[in-house]
Amino acid sequence: MAYTPQYGPGKSIVAENRRKQMNPGVKLEKIRDVTDEEIVLIMGHRAPGQAYPTAHPPLAEQGEPDCPIRKIVSPTEGAKAGDRVRYIQFADSMFNAPSQPYQRTYVEMYRYRGIDPGTLSGRQIVESRERDLEKIASDLINTNLFDPARVGIRGATVHGHSLRLAEDGMQFDMLQRCVLDGGVVKYVKDQIGVPLDKKVPVGKPMDEAWLKANTTMFHSLVGTAFRDDPEYVEYVQTIHSKRTKYGFMPVE
Amino acid sequence: MTEAEFPQCRIVTERLLKPETVEKILNKLVAIEGIRRIVINGPSIPQLVPYGPARGLPNPHSGRVRIVVGGTDVDLRVQVGTILLELETRDIVPRIDEACREVFTNFTFGLKEGKFMRSTPTQTDYAKYGPGADEMMIGIVDPKNKTGPTLIQGTK
Repeated sequence: MAYTPQYGPGKSIVAENRRKQMNPGVKLEKIRDVTDEEIVLIMGHRAPGQAYPTAHPPLAEQGEPDCPIRKIVSPTEGAKAGDRVRYIQFADSMFNAPSQPYQRTYVEMYRYRGIDPGTLSGRQIVESRERDLEKIASDLINTNLFDPARVGIRGATVHGHSLRLAEDGMQFDMLQRCVLDGGVVKYVKDQIGVPLDKKVPVGKPMDEAWLKANTTMFHSLVGTAFRDDPEYVEYVQTIHSKRTKYGFMPVE
Repeated sequence: MTEAEFPQCRIVTERLLKPETVEKILNKLVAIEGIRRIVINGPSIPQLVPYGPARGLPNPHSGRVRIVVGGTDVDLRVQVGTILLELETRDIVPRIDEACREVFTNFTFGLKEGKFMRSTPTQTDYAKYGPGADEMMIGIVDPKNKTGPTLIQGTK
């Protein structure tokens, strides 16, 4: 019998959203249209239009050793061309942001190849070959995984995930990389905090109702409470209990 | 160091405040007689980028500005989310509550009475200030900070 992944437990809207984001069979909902050039500017790894700097010669030129694994796994476009490995990092506010670090890592592992995600409590970084990264970043920014106000693209100095929102609904950012300008969020600095020559718009913040319906984070005050999803609670308690018992004595 | 007999209260807002809102609430507060000390608190906004490849670059930020409170300039270095107050008498708490209600109209806030400032110096305070420390300063600023408090002329 073929195995069908369940992606996650739970009957709440949060659990449903988590499954939808993780399942590569479900197309991510495209919401905004940030151009590739704008994404390159926000990431700040190279100038728009500049050729991709390389870390090694293209695979076709350098000659690959005779290796069975290399025969099974086809290289990504970036790896084929010998691109550098670069990153994009997100900080998601705990106030109903559409995604969150663990979720992002699951999503990326299910949907993309050739990536190295790093999961931390308040931020999530994903590394990849540069041209692959730009494609992934375009997905992560232009779809329902992103909200201009509650998600920040932050390479360093990421503090903000667990803080109260500002009066205008923006997540706190001590470097103020993006500002709310006439109802549209615009990036004025790249992800590490270097000022940009021009403001890069990333769209209007989504409204509260959309965020509540599309978040993958439980929050008892502003969203769906974790305790309102008994199936999820049972699942987490089972994992917790088993890892504690079998960590202590791995026998029945 | 604070005297045990002075009541204290803490205002916590639902949102982190804009400098204009901070200016508005502080000007309402300083007009109330009987507030000894005010501490404004929140996440820091650094003058220079503190970490990463851009470390050391200037950090332009709309939250790091100069506001005027009771005719005195105050340089904001944090995005204010908490205001601690030390009062001469508990009787003025309703007036503080009223001032908050007038300013915080778009979001909620909490006003609590309690003890929020340190009453005895810590080891770090001792290392920084020594035995002859200014009692007004202990417990209200970071001992590593070189800038002093802003003194606002009272009405007495």
